[in-house]
Amino acid sequence: MSVPLSQMWAVASYVLKQRLRGTTRYPLVLMLEPLFRCNLACAGCGKIQYPAQILKKHLSVEQCMAAVDECGAPMVSIPGGEPLMYPEIGRLVTELVARKKYVYLCTNALLLKEKLEAGLFEPSKYLSFSVHMDGLREEHDEAVCRDGVFTEAVEGIREALRRGFRVTTNTTLFDGANPLRMREFFDAMMDLGVEGMMISPGYSYSKAPDQEHFLRRQRAHELFRTMLANPKRRWKFNQSPLFLQFLMGKQDFECTPWGNPTYNMFGWQRPCYLLQEGYAPTFRELIETTKWENYGRRSGNDKCRDCMVHCGYEPTAVNHTFSSWRGFRDTVVATVTGRN
Amino acid sequence: MTEETLEGWAPEIGRGITLEEVIERAFDYRGNVTVVKTDGTELEGYLFNRERDAAEPFVQMFDRAGDGPYDIRYADIRSIRFTGRDTAAGTSYAAWLRAKESKKPASGA
Repeated sequence: MSVPLSQMWAVASYVLKQRLRGTTRYPLVLMLEPLFRCNLACAGCGKIQYPAQILKKHLSVEQCMAAVDECGAPMVSIPGGEPLMYPEIGRLVTELVARKKYVYLCTNALLLKEKLEAGLFEPSKYLSFSVHMDGLREEHDEAVCRDGVFTEAVEGIREALRRGFRVTTNTTLFDGANPLRMREFFDAMMDLGVEGMMISPGYSYSKAPDQEHFLRRQRAHELFRTMLANPKRRWKFNQSPLFLQFLMGKQDFECTPWGNPTYNMFGWQRPCYLLQEGYAPTFRELIETTKWENYGRRSGNDKCRDCMVHCGYEPTAVNHTFSSWRGFRDTVVATVTGRN
Repeated sequence: MTEETLEGWAPEIGRGITLEEVIERAFDYRGNVTVVKTDGTELEGYLFNRERDAAEPFVQMFDRAGDGPYDIRYADIRSIRFTGRDTAAGTSYAAWLRAKESKKPASGA
């Protein structure tokens, strides 16, 4: 695991504080979507299909920070849309870093070099560029439906690393992914010098154009087992080792849909980052009035049946680490040995 | 999976479909709709939320200029027309693959 110690400590102390307080539903990562506009139109994405007036809109920095304060999560992920298209992204990141939030700026990196050269960001232990990379060149360009994106993203990563920024990658896997090619991809990313990688199976957004290539649960376990078998010591994953074990079918977790709450121009999204079943005006209302029993695999909800996405299960893995000696031991062993 | 688009749909409330059902479809629709109110006025825009469990159920919309959100009570809605383009329909992954294949030079040439 490649998460820096200071970040691990911040998350661990936050989780323990919540547990001591007896808070049963607490957020771990705020998914902050300041805009839906994007410079790509990937087939697996269900986030950008909106009328023009919605795509032109964005949250103000003040609205974003009010959500951050209200939610209180120690980490903030900025997906979108493409956050580097957000006109106030520099100021937003500065404000988040000033509040000591660990920020994952999720980008396709097409604009990364340009924004870095413009001096929009300062390197900080609190800021990571989480670059969308769905595989080696052929696989990535196919996933984002545009040739040449992989090469541009690699240039962006190199520039960010050269300037001393933390860089991670985030990879979504779909049916048909080749485990051997993915292992080559892990090597390639580590060769580039990224701090760590995040991997997750894709979710079948009902609004995504590609509905046929999402992984079903059993196939996902097989894929991740093959892909992560005998992991190389040099591979670093910027996520809980228990989540990786879950992906491989070695842990049986239930979803924690409130773990990564989502805020965007419509409000607090119910129930999670992936499903859009309504919006609450406040975070408190989201937590208190969402019918959580209707979600997760055991609820029997069809939309949750095959979902194994990190935004629901990584919070479960983190919670598991701190809820029992066994969970803590499993995490420490996996972290120290590098075995999943 | 291909899904039939509701683009252009103008259901008559009461003829086999209730207002609540049409509102659910409008909430799920990724395009602009036109809400016709009981006073005869209309609001065209993106319907992004509905609160069906509220004491007085209502929908929330941004208008075509992006202004809002505007809240409209269910009780004040006469009908809804699906007037805007369905942005979730159209370019598919399969179509992109076909286009990509067609760009490749013919083999054996």
